[in-house]
Amino acid sequence: MSSGQVTKRVKYKTSVKDAGTPGRLSLVKERLVFRPNNPNSASKLDMQFKYITNHRYTKEGSNKAPMLNLTSNQGASYIFEFESYEDLHICRDFVGCANLMKFGHKGVAELLHRQQKLQILELIRKFIQNNPAEMICSSVQGCCKTIDYVLHSELQKLHQQFVGGGVLTEAEFWATRKKLLEKDANRKAKQRGGLKSSVLAESKPFIDGRTNRVTFNLTPEIVREIFSEKPAVHRAYLNFVPSKMADKDFWTKYCRAEYLQRSKNIAAAIAEAAEDEELAIFLKPDDILANETRRKIRRVDPTLDMETDQGDDYSHLPDHGIFRDGSKEVAESGNELYQRTLLQDLNRHAAVVLQGTPIDEEQLKDTQTVAEALERSKQERSTASKDDESSADQERLKGISQAMTIDDLRGSNDHHLAPLWIKVLSVLTHNISSTKYNLGKKPGESLLDSLPTSVRDELLHHHISIEELMKHFWSSYPITNKYLNTKVTKLKDEMSKMDSQLQVTSLLLNSLSVRLVQALEAAMQHYDAEQQKRASKAREKPNGYS
Amino acid sequence: MKFQIEEVTVYFPYDNIYPEQYTYMVELKRALDAKGHCLLEMPTGTGKTIALLSLITSYALAKTESPIKLIYCTRTVHEMEKTLAELKFLHNYQVKHLGAAAKMLAIGLSSRKNLCVNPKVSSAENRDSVDAACRKLTASWVRSMAAENPNQPTCEFYENYDRAAGGAVLPAGVYTLEDLRAFGKEKGWCPYFLARHMVQFANVVVYSYQYLLDPKVAGIISKEMQKESVVVFDEAHNIDNVCIEALSVSVRRQTLEGAIRNISRIENEIDRFKDIDAGRLRAEYNRLVEGLALRGDLSASDAWLANPALPDDILRQAVPGNIRRAEHFLHVLRRLVQYLKVKLDTDKVEKESPVSFVASINSDAGIDQKALKFCYDRLHSLLMTLEITDTDEFLHIQTICDFATLVGTYARGFSIIIEPFDERMPLIPDPVLQLCCHDASLAIKPVFDRFQSVVITSGTLSPIDLYPRLLNFHPVVSRSFKMSLTRDCICPMVLTRGSDQLPVSTKFDMRSDPGVVRNYGKLLVEMVSIVPDGIVCFFVSYSYMDGIINSWNESGILKDIMQHKLVFIETQDVVETTLALDNYRRACDCGRGAVFFSVARGKVAEGIDFDRHYGRLVIMFGVPFQYTESKILRARLEYLRDTFQIKEGDFLTFDALIDVMNIELTDRNLNQRQAAQCVGRVIRSKADYGMMIFADKRYSRHDKRSKLPGWILSHLRDANLNLSTDMALHIAREFLRKMAQPYEKTGSTTGRKTLLSQEDVEKLGNNGAQEMLY
Repeated sequence: MSSGQVTKRVKYKTSVKDAGTPGRLSLVKERLVFRPNNPNSASKLDMQFKYITNHRYTKEGSNKAPMLNLTSNQGASYIFEFESYEDLHICRDFVGCANLMKFGHKGVAELLHRQQKLQILELIRKFIQNNPAEMICSSVQGCCKTIDYVLHSELQKLHQQFVGGGVLTEAEFWATRKKLLEKDANRKAKQRGGLKSSVLAESKPFIDGRTNRVTFNLTPEIVREIFSEKPAVHRAYLNFVPSKMADKDFWTKYCRAEYLQRSKNIAAAIAEAAEDEELAIFLKPDDILANETRRKIRRVDPTLDMETDQGDDYSHLPDHGIFRDGSKEVAESGNELYQRTLLQDLNRHAAVVLQGTPIDEEQLKDTQTVAEALERSKQERSTASKDDESSADQERLKGISQAMTIDDLRGSNDHHLAPLWIKVLSVLTHNISSTKYNLGKKPGESLLDSLPTSVRDELLHHHISIEELMKHFWSSYPITNKYLNTKVTKLKDEMSKMDSQLQVTSLLLNSLSVRLVQALEAAMQHYDAEQQKRASKAREKPNGYS
Repeated sequence: MKFQIEEVTVYFPYDNIYPEQYTYMVELKRALDAKGHCLLEMPTGTGKTIALLSLITSYALAKTESPIKLIYCTRTVHEMEKTLAELKFLHNYQVKHLGAAAKMLAIGLSSRKNLCVNPKVSSAENRDSVDAACRKLTASWVRSMAAENPNQPTCEFYENYDRAAGGAVLPAGVYTLEDLRAFGKEKGWCPYFLARHMVQFANVVVYSYQYLLDPKVAGIISKEMQKESVVVFDEAHNIDNVCIEALSVSVRRQTLEGAIRNISRIENEIDRFKDIDAGRLRAEYNRLVEGLALRGDLSASDAWLANPALPDDILRQAVPGNIRRAEHFLHVLRRLVQYLKVKLDTDKVEKESPVSFVASINSDAGIDQKALKFCYDRLHSLLMTLEITDTDEFLHIQTICDFATLVGTYARGFSIIIEPFDERMPLIPDPVLQLCCHDASLAIKPVFDRFQSVVITSGTLSPIDLYPRLLNFHPVVSRSFKMSLTRDCICPMVLTRGSDQLPVSTKFDMRSDPGVVRNYGKLLVEMVSIVPDGIVCFFVSYSYMDGIINSWNESGILKDIMQHKLVFIETQDVVETTLALDNYRRACDCGRGAVFFSVARGKVAEGIDFDRHYGRLVIMFGVPFQYTESKILRARLEYLRDTFQIKEGDFLTFDALIDVMNIELTDRNLNQRQAAQCVGRVIRSKADYGMMIFADKRYSRHDKRSKLPGWILSHLRDANLNLSTDMALHIAREFLRKMAQPYEKTGSTTGRKTLLSQEDVEKLGNNGAQEMLY
């Protein structure tokens, strides 16, 4: 569901009693589309969310079928019966969010005033969970802005002061706050533990030196690794154990095969495999893996697909082209069947690590559990991921064409808006906020408490607005374009205004505001120095803009 | 941005432009104006492709009265995909700013293997079996059979496409191979034949070199391209090799055995036909009397690979009488195969010219030159007459006929070399008879003759004056551009010693020294712990890489490496390597970080970019070498010297093989093109950065080092010429820290602009580019 699109199997009805047309309901960004399974059926549907005025749904636990009823602005109603409540809820949330979007800023603010804050927040949170970041940024941002705005009156004040005062643009003001929302969204997704990079099964067998005995150590973790890297071994285990052989015998055979493999004694391996067909399974190339490879190669990034190169190369038909000019390496040929190389194993291992494991640490009990858990997750994945795959591919392709662009030739779009946390700033903010914190906490020095409320509020507001200014000021350096230049000039003007205001207050409250004044002065000094440097440079070189 | 170069308005899809790109466009425009060929060298990382595409498409938009077509040739399919992605980006920009007037049709063309959407066909294993599987469903006789017999399987995609006839067109847009497949699937039309058909109408065609250079392919695909085309060969530093490979054939024992089987099968088919449809063979005979005109009116689905010789060299006359009858032709083939078999059965190296070889075939096997020359077309005609669709089974006999036709057509520029074994492995008999072309100008000549402008461009074309001689053409513009960097974003280092101060090298007597192996391993272990994202390692050969990885595995070094990064490895299996690369990129993208082990002469080094976070560090373990005693290479050098007065030394330094005269079999010849390729693909733009470590004590010697490309040498500081592992580590840390600082992108602090804005470009247009840049 990472694509911003939801597709579910439904029955489409015009009234509750209608038997319904089976088909698929897809919800995309701005519209909903219903496609009947029977392509000749007349009941197709394709409408934009903006025409939907209301939606109702059956509650879970009632003995009715899970249904969603959408009402359009013309009063027509569309009823969809889902296969499960889970499906219904996903679609309901989607429609709800889409509806929310439709209201825009004003609508949300209005709703907020109608005391539906919690409900809306819940909706948005769900939406964020289910959709890719870019979509959230473009569409939810609008709503969240408003919510943020209404909920934090402090923010509102800041906004009025800077955006209203023309110091910052709307975009700049919100750019530094985008992060707040994202963090919230990310925390919700449960993260699985990854796999270790190093190869566990490669750990050396233990040889005691006196006898010919070789000991392999297997832990459930290693077993997990073996099963995920060698699906044929996994399959063999499920087939043979315990019906045909005991767990221990299976692993003895496996280790025997591994030992033969590693000793590179191909002749011996062939001989043993000929006698023992179970052992041969471990030595043969993995057919499940081969199939998977064939499937994966079709979905590889086309800008590095060397297999397509081979498929297009008619100059190198067999025996065409230059065969022996010393540029090609002499390849050793061997018995292909029993030659699994370390290099292949390493590639396979890294691929599995990258893919991640579907098995949690707690399931790592014994071999049987691991084998079954792995099998279950495999089945789940194969049923669930078919639809996802193609859309994931699309995403990836989009990423590729984006990667083709040359970053620094692009104009500084959005770049200057990114919040930059440099050391000076964070130290400053830390100082300031700790002062504020301590001031309130320590009863002995409750300086703030001793002040009249109006002065205290004013002071705190100064603090917040200076913090905001500093954030923007420092993130504008180095000045690489005109835009930043004008922004800094504007900020500087605002800062000097602040400064003079603070000077007045500071007469009253030296010990507190001195830090704030310091912060402002540091920034102003930096500005002056930079400005001087620029001016002198501009005189030398007519090409640099000033 | 939008700016003027003289009368042409150039639409460039970025807000800024590098000065190199601007001057590159100016030069390119001059060549287009002069309707001549040109040669342009510009380092990687300067956005060559987008500059080229922008200028040529803008030029075409400006000159609507005489529309030009762009034929863009890439070395490989994955480079084609990259080019199309850039073109898509450009096209979107142009349409946005110019509206519908900027709309164009651009397609990438590839083989059936890469375009087929019929699941029954595309599941076949390799290129040749896909071609054959397709023919089994689409050949004209198969289709006419299907008209009578509904049980005869055909390809629905081809049938739909054929039924749509003139209606089957691609709407304007830029189509990658995936886009073509998707479009084909949606419409139910065969994307391969649709694309081949649309090639004549497209404004831009992107395909690989051989579609123009290899007569076998060009003969069927590129016949109808108009003269008013601009042909671009991108990444063309190896173009001479592509040219000579296109005209070279080799015959081995397996080939001959296969050919004998093929001949018997053809014989059976002839007998069968005699029984059921003798008239058909007679009709063929009559057609052959009239000449080879048949090639023109074959339906597209029947076309096989075309004649291996160049179109101008094929005589349009009747097939000689002695091979007109099918049985006679088979006798000729049998004698030819027998003759080659005897020739191959030798225990010493032989070298012959085509003339004497043809003469001895004539006296020993009784086949004259003219019959040899017609072998390919005669075979083609016979297979058509016999309605053979499983063409992949007949590759061996096709090779023999290719060989015969080439040897019968060309008297100069080729030689025949018979070697009983590979000199590097004298104990393993593997006789081979090679017909090798020495003259790269042969294959490319028709391209220069046919098209108005041919642009040859690459990151490394030095010495630039050698290419016109090798390819025998006269460029109107020949320029080499340097890259101006905003900051020192590349950091080459020469590492000569490990932390224990013992020298490291892949020199023959040292390479298996456990100390060297350990020091190499320790270097990597240290580097993986400090370098973010991707690291690429190149080894001198597969066998060396295999050996060293195995010993790192034994000694636990590999385990240490894997503590920090995942390990992916290039193997000799292309599919596995592709998947490994794909996973490597994913690992770099997701932040896990990875190391890619590759081979200096392998396929990955040749064409895969390791730019940005995909290659923050490249380590070259040892000095890549080329075996220079090869008979073919020697013969080619001799030919170049005699024909073009190119001295051996010139070519070899150029081709990166040094002092062949001083014979030392192993280890001494650094391949400049190879080394440049391995490390030269780290930089994508001036904002990008990367380090390179040349780990071998021999790099500290001037003569080895000087073979490295100039743009690397210019960044190689004297202090970095003789480092040990701990010093390199320190430098790497410092470098990465420096690169993490913000910097001024326009370069105005360094005195010379390295990035131009709209305003700067307009100023340039008025003042002339030169004075500002140089």
